[in-house]
Amino acid sequence: MTVIVQQSGLQTTIQSRPRTGLRHLGVPSSGPADPLSMALANRLVGNASFEPALETTLTGVTLAFEVESTISITGASARCSLNGQAVQQHATIAVVPGDVVSVGAAENGVRSYVAFAGGLLADTVLGSESTYLPAAFGGYKGRALAKGDDLTLAKPVADTPVAETPAEFRLPILHAWTIRAGTSCETTSLRHGEQLFDQKFTVASRSDRMGIKLDGKSFEIESDRQMPSVPLFPGTVQCPHDGSLYVMSVDSGTTGGYPRVAKITRMDLHLLGQLRPGNSLTLIERNDDDAARELQEKHAYWRVWLPDIADVI
Amino acid sequence: MRSAGDDLISVSVADVRAAQRLATDLRESGDWIEAVAGVDSVVARFDIASVRRADAETRLLDTAANISEPPEISKMVVEIPVVYGGESGPDFDFVCEKLGLTGRELIDMHSGEYTVDMLGFTPGFAYIGGLDERLKIDRLPEPRQFVPAGSVGIAGGRSGLYSLPGPGGWPLIGRTSRKLFDATSDEPFTLFAGATVLFRGVDSS
Repeated sequence: MTVIVQQSGLQTTIQSRPRTGLRHLGVPSSGPADPLSMALANRLVGNASFEPALETTLTGVTLAFEVESTISITGASARCSLNGQAVQQHATIAVVPGDVVSVGAAENGVRSYVAFAGGLLADTVLGSESTYLPAAFGGYKGRALAKGDDLTLAKPVADTPVAETPAEFRLPILHAWTIRAGTSCETTSLRHGEQLFDQKFTVASRSDRMGIKLDGKSFEIESDRQMPSVPLFPGTVQCPHDGSLYVMSVDSGTTGGYPRVAKITRMDLHLLGQLRPGNSLTLIERNDDDAARELQEKHAYWRVWLPDIADVI
Repeated sequence: MRSAGDDLISVSVADVRAAQRLATDLRESGDWIEAVAGVDSVVARFDIASVRRADAETRLLDTAANISEPPEISKMVVEIPVVYGGESGPDFDFVCEKLGLTGRELIDMHSGEYTVDMLGFTPGFAYIGGLDERLKIDRLPEPRQFVPAGSVGIAGGRSGLYSLPGPGGWPLIGRTSRKLFDATSDEPFTLFAGATVLFRGVDSS
């Protein structure tokens, strides 16, 4: 029932359902940084969208199977192989004991997802198997995978049907992104706040599951910046003293004391997981009504392939 | 009341106790995905795929207009033994100098009983208000890359108790050996909003 990690990559973790309803205790959501790609991987092997799966970071992962299984790989585009022979992402891969599957370095995007028919066994903490690295809990012993770790498949699934993600549901992984965002509580304290939108930023190297720094225009705040601590959510964009923008992601702290100058819309939050240092990013403005309407339209589009899309994004 | 983003509503309230009461009532109503208190505001997140903003705002105002009585605050005191200064409190001397206090005065002013304002930031990090006015100091200009678990900081008139190791920007005056968060426990959180804590200075031995 085990899968041995031959090469762990930069930061490969088990992710599952985000934690909700615990932010008042300081517990962030965690879960996949790109939940849509993870749901697509799980869909191919017949799993529920948040069945525990692997999330890689930039460098991929190599797995040796001691068990028969069906797996799938989605997310960041990468060369993938089965026993050295190229295999496709977005398609089921049948493996037998002795097989070695490799997910190569990400060519576009950051995070690939590897799903296993029947899911992976993982530590459940505070209601989810998702790994939260800062507090070292969930997933595989609360940490990123290391060479030699043994993963256990939750339950063997026989005869998983062959499947491919239809072309219209393959999420394009780009190097220039346009993301829909709206204003937030302290947007009006921003001098030249209109320049938040329709302006090219560059994803900075200081970007991870906690948050993403945007290089480019630096902003001035028309206040003393002495703010009391306020609740933060994934997608909130803060502007600290240095005037740059920080986008909160899935592992971000639940409170903070810097002005909230924008918020990435719910419908585009999943894209944060693929923003790669050096990529360009343009925020385009959506008011709250349009953001709700366009989310519903996005759900309607994806529901054809992912019936539980409204839980995913 | 104002928008904090497409699926977020922020409400300003009088103080941290009012924020806690409103956030608790909102969570208990079951109408919200999240409801989180800040120092003087509450932010609630709702499902924009199924609830109109106008309806969410109406519900929020209804709840705010009918706030329940504050729950009986636990009389139990959670003792937090603190080693002040030295390696445990690397900013202790800097804080004394900045505030014009002797080490003894700083320890005497900081020791004592307080009420936990809220948890937040990371699992179990505690914001504890009510510091002596003379202990008001700003955050460090540059956050530290690494703060050990149990560190006791002060900033903006509050103490902050670091439940986990990690980065942090509060000037550190001491450290406690008391575990504040344990993911493997049935009750992972040692503290909660409204709890009474007693800071008591102890020797490093």
